[in-house]
Amino acid sequence: MEKKLQVRSLRISFRTVSGKLQAVRDISFDLYKGETLAIVGESGSGKSVTSKAILGILAGNAIIEGGEILYDGQDLLKISEEDFYKLRGDKLSMIFQDPLSSLNPIMRIGKQLTEAMLLKGKARQRSNRRDFNRKMKLMEEAMKAANPAETDSIGEKCGRFNRLEMKHIELERAYNEAFEAASEALVEIENILFLIDKKALKDAGVRFREVREFALRAENPFVVTESDAPALRAAAKSLTTGMGRQVSSGDYSKAASELKTIQAILTCATSGERPDFFAIGYAQQANQGGLPSGDRAAVNARCRKALEEGFMGEFSRLAQKGLDFNDGKYARLRQAAEKELDAAMKAFEKGVPADASASAIVGALTRAVDASVNPLDVVKDSLVCTFSGSLKAFMETYRRGEKTNGGKIRKYERQLARHRKLEEKGKRPDWTVAKPSIVDLDQTHENIMHLMTRLKEHYASLDAAEATRDTVQKTERLIDSIQDNASGMVDKMTKRRARNKALKLMEEVGIPEPRKRYRDYPFQFSGGMRQRIVIAIALAANPDILICDEPTTALDVTIQAQILELINKLKKERQLTVIFITHDLGVVANMADRIAVMYAGKIVEYGLSEEIFYEPAHPYTWALLSSMPDLETREKLEAIPGTPPNMIYPPKGDAFAERNLYAMKIDLERQPPQFPITETHWAATWLLHPNAPKVEMPKAVSERIRNMRARTGGERNAQ
Amino acid sequence: MPNEKDDILLKVEHLCQYFGPVKAVDDVSFDIKRGEVFGMVGESGCGKTTTGRSIIKLYDITSGSIYFDGKRIAAGAGSYKAAIKKARAEMRTADADGKTRLKAEIAEQKRQMAQALSDHKAAGSVTQIQMIFQDPIASLDPRMTVYETIAEGLRIRGEKNKAVIDEKVYRVLELVGLVREHATRYPHEFSGGQRQRIGVARSVIMEPQMIIADEPVSALDVSIQAQVINLLNDLRHELGLTIMFIAHDLSVVKYFSDRIGVMYFGKMVELTTSDELFAHPLHPYTRSLLSAIPLPDPLYERQRKRIVYDPLVEHDYSTDKPSLREVSAGHFVYCNEAEYQKYCQALGA
Repeated sequence: MEKKLQVRSLRISFRTVSGKLQAVRDISFDLYKGETLAIVGESGSGKSVTSKAILGILAGNAIIEGGEILYDGQDLLKISEEDFYKLRGDKLSMIFQDPLSSLNPIMRIGKQLTEAMLLKGKARQRSNRRDFNRKMKLMEEAMKAANPAETDSIGEKCGRFNRLEMKHIELERAYNEAFEAASEALVEIENILFLIDKKALKDAGVRFREVREFALRAENPFVVTESDAPALRAAAKSLTTGMGRQVSSGDYSKAASELKTIQAILTCATSGERPDFFAIGYAQQANQGGLPSGDRAAVNARCRKALEEGFMGEFSRLAQKGLDFNDGKYARLRQAAEKELDAAMKAFEKGVPADASASAIVGALTRAVDASVNPLDVVKDSLVCTFSGSLKAFMETYRRGEKTNGGKIRKYERQLARHRKLEEKGKRPDWTVAKPSIVDLDQTHENIMHLMTRLKEHYASLDAAEATRDTVQKTERLIDSIQDNASGMVDKMTKRRARNKALKLMEEVGIPEPRKRYRDYPFQFSGGMRQRIVIAIALAANPDILICDEPTTALDVTIQAQILELINKLKKERQLTVIFITHDLGVVANMADRIAVMYAGKIVEYGLSEEIFYEPAHPYTWALLSSMPDLETREKLEAIPGTPPNMIYPPKGDAFAERNLYAMKIDLERQPPQFPITETHWAATWLLHPNAPKVEMPKAVSERIRNMRARTGGERNAQ
Repeated sequence: MPNEKDDILLKVEHLCQYFGPVKAVDDVSFDIKRGEVFGMVGESGCGKTTTGRSIIKLYDITSGSIYFDGKRIAAGAGSYKAAIKKARAEMRTADADGKTRLKAEIAEQKRQMAQALSDHKAAGSVTQIQMIFQDPIASLDPRMTVYETIAEGLRIRGEKNKAVIDEKVYRVLELVGLVREHATRYPHEFSGGQRQRIGVARSVIMEPQMIIADEPVSALDVSIQAQVINLLNDLRHELGLTIMFIAHDLSVVKYFSDRIGVMYFGKMVELTTSDELFAHPLHPYTRSLLSAIPLPDPLYERQRKRIVYDPLVEHDYSTDKPSLREVSAGHFVYCNEAEYQKYCQALGA
């Protein structure tokens, strides 16, 4: 499965008046495409800090001590603020906990909702155009290099593909607008018919006009066939005539019959197969004639066949050849990089070599690695892309350490000596000696070695994958991604479209009468409504990864359920990747595919959702599960005693030991490593050590799990 | 017997609380028995907090009466005014006989209104009912030490003896699980759970008979929630408190309450014992509410179907107006005649 985001040994501290507070202590996790990772923990466990680091919005006093966050070929901890502008909102989006502080109080809701869409719309078009041109150029080059005899015809073919793509876009854009209008008209008609039936229709004039507008905009040869178009137009126009009489009498039977006509036409228009515009565009150009008519599926099949025979078959054959050639080239480059890597690892094994030779080795290695990045990869290889940057950063740190460590230590010793002297004289100096911040050279060297080893392993896995490479599929994916770029290029976000999209989103998140509330200010909404708006804003730009920081904590059950369903629905529809942060385990059962339980800046248990709920292994997870009542609980709740530790002075051993009923002596002395339970499930507790005494989970938890198993037992057996 | 008069500590009759055109609470009636925990659930903005605040007279109620320990502590003039207005309108078309009758009625209504308002005024503020607020940070004065915060109520009531105050403050501090040393500290030095304990201590020191807890745990972490719920439970048994527990977390309400009232848009739509409510929810809103409770059970959750409640779809109140009716002993549902028959049948089957 595709890894969307990888967090590796992330460590974050905060500078505070009373010392350095260690908020996140060495956590790692992967985020897979289309999955939800839930991070569960108490306040102060570092879950929000992690998510803020991903978004690059940590507070000013935060220090990133180490680690990396890999996303789309970049390390989010190292990129500049300007590069973040391209990601935030568009690719990474966040729903904040407190709706009051995350909305602008002096801006109308509508404006806040459309702001990102409008700003990002242009940038997205531009970047799509850039990608499209780049990929086309690279593909053409690869194709030409693979078939040196046919360079001329390849140039001509690529030009043709380009033109076809433009035609495709033109048709599709018109279709999309009409289709959108038709679907909206259908939704609105259904609502109105329902309200007429219940005799509770309000604002009839406005709503009818809107339906008329939508219905008229839905006119497109691919949505409404030519024979239906006059009927639709007539029905839409007569819908609003005699409006005043109908409103005053409250008798909407005439309008209802018109609405039903429109509904019938549009329902049949919006169902069925989606036209394949690339193929249709080809057919149209090839025939030099009008649009092909007839049954949509038949048209699709016919046009596809013509396209395949006339152009695409030959084009994909050439593209495949080109891609194959290209892959071979980069495989060779990779092997060259591997050689450099081996040499560098040997040179660095004992320690970082002296100045000149080290920089030569690093230079050669980074050049080779950078050259081995295949620009035609649809999914960027984050590890290879970020390698050079990370290596150079480590080297810089190392060199700086070499240069300044000695001076800093000498200064520290001088000050310490002065301080001692004063004390010996019996004086009490009102200043203290601060420890110098020196670079740990050994640690840095180890980091460098670790980085290289990881790249080596990664290359080895790539080499292994080389044998099973599927060029046909790869070509298809590349052409698909080029076509996606092309659609993105013309997908122009106008104010009117943004407004319509915002209204739809408001409806989706459950804000009643969105048209009226569109121009309201945040203070005119209740808490739950405000949170819904925050969610709508986060979803407005159609992000890749959605981070939800306790989005439903302040809401009541019904709304909570609605919002969770909404997030789940969007996740399915858009293949959204979600990080869901909460302190309530009950909420995530329905949401999460994987769960990470965090305590005091560390992940203490990690696993699939079923594993965490049905086979929890860490005492902290047990405590979380047993401290909340469910519908069957009658006995006294098992509260977790005490409060989380102060992370300015993190405990030496397991941070949870103090509050842990099952703590052993070793828990107070050494931090437990991660003990694997299954392939996907691990927990950091000494209880899983083979020498540890066997401990049963608390009765409240085991009983609840038994109840759960009984409840879903039937289905489980059926599975 | 549950209906004996001395058993009922708080009686709310036809309580209405309007803010301008907004009917926050609209004709709500219920009793709370001595020593029980009465849970109140409903979505945000449905009027449950307003009901609680009306009871301790943070608002002057629009109409209806509230009796505490047999005494009327709050009353509104709304219903009397409406009756007088109606009588006056009738007067225009009435004959001579009717006129004298209506005149007498108006005089009677005026007398009752005067009585209600004087009761309302005479009752003053009721220290026998105390409140615990939702947000422990916002409800504590950041410039007052814990001692001052807790002792403030006693001082206002006129207690001047330092020794008595000291003794009481330290006693309640220990009662809620804090220690003497905490008394001199300021609220910001405490964690969320401890702050909520201070809020509890402040209300318990007045030796109330009843506490209105307005979402006391929803702002707290799960692990701390359990501590506060356990504390309230212990106090209830130790001090024999009656508690009105307002919350939106149904699992917690179910765990903690004896009887539960479900509110929807300012109306009480269902009221019964907590076991009965969860076993036989009748009103469609209650059913939708119960179907939305999340459980820590992934397999069950994935196939759970949430019921959506839309009053326009569920009810047809165009001809027959609904009211709160007793479907079975102690189980009240807001319904009209047709629905009443349906519910009775459902329970009988």
